[in-house]
Amino acid sequence: MLRELKFLLSLFKTNLAAAMEYRVAFISQSIGMILNDAVYFIVWIIFFDRFPSIRGWQLPDMFIVFGIAASAFGLAGLLFGNAFNLGEIIVNGRLDYYLSFPRPTLLHVLASRVVPSSFGDFLYGFISYSASGQFSLDGLGRFFVGVCLAMTVFLAFLVLVQSLAFWMGTGGVFSSMAINAIITFAIYPITLFNQSAKVILFLVIPAAFMGAVPAGFVKAFSWSTLGLMLIGAAGFMLFAILVFQIGLKRYESGSAIQIEV
Amino acid sequence: MNKYLAICKINLLNSLVYPTELVTRSAMILLFMWIFFQLWHITFVAAGSDLINGLSLHDTMWYLLLAETLELGRPRSARTISEQVKDGSIAYLLNKPYNFLLFQLSNGLGDSLPRMGILFLLGGALVWAMAGPPPDLVNWPFALIALVGAWLLHFFVNSLIGLSAFVVEEVAPFEWLYQKLVFILGGMLIPLDFYPVWLQTIAKSLPFAYMMYGPARLFVQSSLSLFPQILFGQLLWLVVLGGLLILVFSRGMKRLAINGG
Repeated sequence: MLRELKFLLSLFKTNLAAAMEYRVAFISQSIGMILNDAVYFIVWIIFFDRFPSIRGWQLPDMFIVFGIAASAFGLAGLLFGNAFNLGEIIVNGRLDYYLSFPRPTLLHVLASRVVPSSFGDFLYGFISYSASGQFSLDGLGRFFVGVCLAMTVFLAFLVLVQSLAFWMGTGGVFSSMAINAIITFAIYPITLFNQSAKVILFLVIPAAFMGAVPAGFVKAFSWSTLGLMLIGAAGFMLFAILVFQIGLKRYESGSAIQIEV
Repeated sequence: MNKYLAICKINLLNSLVYPTELVTRSAMILLFMWIFFQLWHITFVAAGSDLINGLSLHDTMWYLLLAETLELGRPRSARTISEQVKDGSIAYLLNKPYNFLLFQLSNGLGDSLPRMGILFLLGGALVWAMAGPPPDLVNWPFALIALVGAWLLHFFVNSLIGLSAFVVEEVAPFEWLYQKLVFILGGMLIPLDFYPVWLQTIAKSLPFAYMMYGPARLFVQSSLSLFPQILFGQLLWLVVLGGLLILVFSRGMKRLAINGG
């Protein structure tokens, strides 16, 4: 376990150094993403200014939910950037490179890329939480825990959906649909949805674990909410790893020469 | 003109080669329209009124359908042009016997037409089931004319963003910001009619309202006073943005340096 953590740390350092090689692009993309998220959130400010409460859900709640979702999305892109194009990697036979190393394939694949703009998303989440009017130091601690667990669920969902490429032979379509689906559901008030929709949001497209549940945890500590988040994160991640490993047995090597720089 | 029609036709046929993928990608609109319905249904109930600023739930849903169709089907010339500038393939396009910008327009049209058609059909079927039949047929010609104007405005702005690759390393931040400005000032997620009056005034003095709000509003409630307003606004911004595009393109050609290899 310790060896894999050291390996991950080395990968992160290398990826970050590579991303910072084009410093201007890195900084401009990060700032651009912060602006992007901030401008997008204005829609909700306009909405709640006109309609102050939607079944008890108000603007401060949106600040927290948006913050959790943005930071979780950003953290996934910073640490495990290849999660967004795992399907294409599988379909194009690029797993060959990772299979030749004595390291867990999934971990190595996921952690081999940084998405530069993700730093902006990650930072924005904290800015959003600070602006919610419910900021506190212990809340900040819970926010960070919520972000880590939300990221885990998000990663697991991406791995699950994109592992379908092992069977279906197509990658990009489902990736973008999956990202859109989980993000869209995560940043809308959960009070909009009826009971059957909520079952989908917990068990099928786990957007509740990426938005509403961690947001509730940030507002007030609860052992049951923490337990629910831990079970959700662990359960989805274990299932995702299992599906990936089963799919990997079907993988056929491509004949292309691949160079990783 | 024939050559541009041929380019458009080739791209259109290209888009239809994998119809399953086209339909699958377009299925995202079902998700968005379903969530919009949850949000606005509850909002209208909470407001305690069948009409909010002159729009009913039925009007709002069909408004959002056309807005979403336009957003998901708009030309992606920013990405295409910036990649051609950055990788130098623009050199192969510039020495061809056609105008570069008209080529991009024809390409974009061939790509957008089938996408927007499928988006509207799929989304329309769901909105019909949730909110009732489409708006009066008398509105459709006005909306269609405004849709053409809106698409062209999107093309001009996207192309300007793409051509900024002559100057900046990365155009993605501009794309994101532009998209979010269309969301807010174009009334993509919330009809401009629901905005505070001061914000409506600002939005309607900028081009974004004519890229989104104009055709969507005409689609649900056309009028002999509204149509000329929208048309005049679109023509004005087409002249301004079209002129700016031609100027930026000719300046960009002068700065263009192509390295051999």
